[in-house]
Amino acid sequence: MSENEGAERRTYRLTRRRFLAASSAAALAACGPAATPGPSGASVTPTATPGPALKIGMLLPFTKVYAELGNSMQRATKLYLKQKGQALANRPVTVVYEDEANDPVVGAQKTQKFIDSDRVDLMMGIVATPIAYAVRNAIDAAKLIFIETNAGGNALTRTTTDCKPSCKSKYIFRSSFSSYQISYPIGEYFATQKGVKEVFTFVADYGFGTESAADFTSGFTKGGGKITGSLKAPLGSADFLPFVTQLKGQQTKDIYSFFSGTDAINYIRAWTQLGMTAAGYKMNGAGFLTEQDVLKEVGDQASGATTSLFWAVTLDNAENKAFVDAYQKEYSLLPDVFAVQAWDGMQAVDLALQAVKGDTTNKDAFIAALENVKFKSPRGDFEFDKDTHNPIQDIYIREVKVQSGQAVNTIVGKVARVTDPGK
Amino acid sequence: MTPETAVVQALNGISFGALLFILAAGLSLIFGMMDVVNLAHGAFYMLGAYITLTVVQRTGQFWLALVLAPLLIGVLGLVIEPLLLRRLRGRHLDQVLLTIGVSLVIADLVGLTWGREIRSIPFPAGLDHAISIMGGDYPAYRLFVIAFGVALAAVLAVVHRRTRVGALIRAGVDDAPMLAALGVDIDRLFAITFAVGAALAGLAGVIAAPVFGIYPGMDVDYLIYSLVVVVVGGLGTLSGAVAGSALIGPVDTFGRVLFPQFALALIFAVMALVLLLRPTGLLGRIRIAR
Repeated sequence: MSENEGAERRTYRLTRRRFLAASSAAALAACGPAATPGPSGASVTPTATPGPALKIGMLLPFTKVYAELGNSMQRATKLYLKQKGQALANRPVTVVYEDEANDPVVGAQKTQKFIDSDRVDLMMGIVATPIAYAVRNAIDAAKLIFIETNAGGNALTRTTTDCKPSCKSKYIFRSSFSSYQISYPIGEYFATQKGVKEVFTFVADYGFGTESAADFTSGFTKGGGKITGSLKAPLGSADFLPFVTQLKGQQTKDIYSFFSGTDAINYIRAWTQLGMTAAGYKMNGAGFLTEQDVLKEVGDQASGATTSLFWAVTLDNAENKAFVDAYQKEYSLLPDVFAVQAWDGMQAVDLALQAVKGDTTNKDAFIAALENVKFKSPRGDFEFDKDTHNPIQDIYIREVKVQSGQAVNTIVGKVARVTDPGK
Repeated sequence: MTPETAVVQALNGISFGALLFILAAGLSLIFGMMDVVNLAHGAFYMLGAYITLTVVQRTGQFWLALVLAPLLIGVLGLVIEPLLLRRLRGRHLDQVLLTIGVSLVIADLVGLTWGREIRSIPFPAGLDHAISIMGGDYPAYRLFVIAFGVALAAVLAVVHRRTRVGALIRAGVDDAPMLAALGVDIDRLFAITFAVGAALAGLAGVIAAPVFGIYPGMDVDYLIYSLVVVVVGGLGTLSGAVAGSALIGPVDTFGRVLFPQFALALIFAVMALVLLLRPTGLLGRIRIAR
C-alpha cells in the first residue's frame, strides 16, 4: 500500500501536487468562513491562494506484529486532516506513508528515503523503540523535525552518556509518553495512596519492559514499598502458563507487569487458567496491559486489573468525547491510545504551523513554536517539556471494570502533571 | 521451586511438548517421504488456527473446527503438491525455496482475510474448567492437549507399523525411487503424504488456538519450534518427532522460568549438543545420500 503511494508520487509528483492544491482550495472556498473547527477550537483560515504544499513523512508499521498500531495511527492522521480540509495553516498537506515493518534496518532505509528523495518537511510515526533509537542520529544530522508518536524508550528524550543507546535532539519531539511516565507514578501511587506494601515484578524481557520494571521499582521503593522479587518473560513467549505458575509459587499477592499485545492476552488468559484472582493475586501494570486491543479479546478476565496510562477511552472531558465520537463515526470502531498519540502529534504540528504562519523554512522558529504549543488533548492538557520535548501530562490510574457487559478501563486515580525527569 | 510448582511446571512442559509433537509429526512425515523441508508448515498451522477462529465465531463449535480445519488444509496440500512441488521434484533446495514462497502467500492472505489484530477464542465447552492438582487449579484443556498428543502418537504408530499405507510410507522413506520401480504410484503417494502432513499442521493449529493465541507471526514462531523438534529427534521418523517434542517441550518450559535470560538460546543449545553427540538426532537413522 505504502509502496504504491510512494511510486505514484515519484511519477506524478507535480500533477498530483497541483491537483491537491487546487482541490483543497476549492474545498476551502466551498466551506467559506465557517470552515470545520477542530476539537482544539482552532479553525482553518480560508484564503484564495493556499501556500506551498506541506509534505509529512509518516513511518508506521503496516505489516508484522504491530500492523494494527500503524493502521490505528494512520486512521487518526487521516481523520485529523479530513477535519481540517487536508490543509494545515493554509498549506495543503500530503502525507507519504511508509512501512517500517518493525525492523530497525527497514526503518533507517525509509527514513533516508524521506530525507533524500521525498524531501519531507517533517517526519512522524515509529512504533518500536529500537527503530526510534536507530534513526535518531540520521534525523538529528539532517535537521529534520520528527514527532515520535509512540516509542516510549526513556533515552529518546534524555541526555545520556555518549548518547547510548540514544539521546534527546532539538529536532525530536514526542507526542506519546516516556516509559518513566507510565511506570514510576503508579509505583509511587501504590506505596503512598493505595497502601500496598509488597510487589513482585513480572515484565517482558526487552529494553522497554526492563525500563518499566526499573521505573516502577524506584517509584514504589521511594514511597516506602518493597519489591520481593522479579521475573522476566522473553518477548513473544509462546506459553505463559510456566510464568504464571512461578508467580503462584511465591507469596507476594500484588504483581506489577509490563506486557502488550499478544503477550498481554496470553498472560491474562494464563492468569485466569490458574485461578490467580481466586487465590488472592492482583494484576497491575503499565496501561498497555489492558488497552483496547487486549480487552477486546480477554473481556472480563482482566476484571480488577489496575494499570496506569495518560488516557482511557472513558476519560470524561469534552475533547475526548468529540474525538471518540468523530473516530467512531468515521470508522465504526473505538479509538485506542495509539490513535490519540497520532492525533495529538498532528494537533501539535497544526498549532505550531499556525504560530509560524505556515513557514517551516526557519527551523529554529518552528522548533520554538512546537515548544510553546499548549492545547486540550483527548488526554487532558498537553504541552511539551521545553528541555526534553517529551510531553508533560496527567497520568491516570485505571481499573478494569465490567460495565453493561463490556470490560472497560475506569479512572480511579490521577497523578497530575507528570514530567519525565530527563534533562 | 516448591514441589507443587515443579509438578505443575512439568505438566506445562509436557503439554507444550504434546502440542509440538502434533505440529512436528507432519513436518517429519513430509521430510521423511519427500526429502523436502516444508517451510510452509508454520503457515498451515496458522491457517488451522484462523479457520478455528471463524468456525468458533460462526457456530460456537470447537469440535467442528477440529474436523473441518485439517480437512480443508489437507485439500489445500493436495492441490499444492501436484500444482507446485511436483514440478521441482528432485531439486530439493528449489522445493524448499518454493515452500517459503507458499508460506509468505498464505501468511499475507490470512492477514488480508482475518486482519492483523491479535485474536483469541474461549476454551471449548466441557474443557473450560480447572482441575485440582496438588492443591492448586490446573486448566483441564492443558490435560486434554496431553491426552490428544499421546492418542495421536498411538494412532500414527499403529498406522505406521500395521497398515498398508504405513508400509508404503516406510518403504518410501527408505527408497522412493525403488518403490516407484515396484509399480507404486509415487505421485499419488507424495500428494497424499503432503496433504496428510499439512492436515497435521492444521490440526496443531486448532489445538493451539485456545491456549497460545491467534496472531500474525505465529507461523514463523512455531515453524522454528517444529524444526528444532524434528532436528533434535531425528529427521523423518515418527519416533524421532516423539522424542524431540518430549525433550524440547519440558526443556523450553523449565528453561524459561529457571534461566530466563538464556530462554531463547536454550533449545538451540540443546539442539547443538544433541547434534554433536548424535549427528542424526536422538532417534534418527543414517540416510543414504541420493
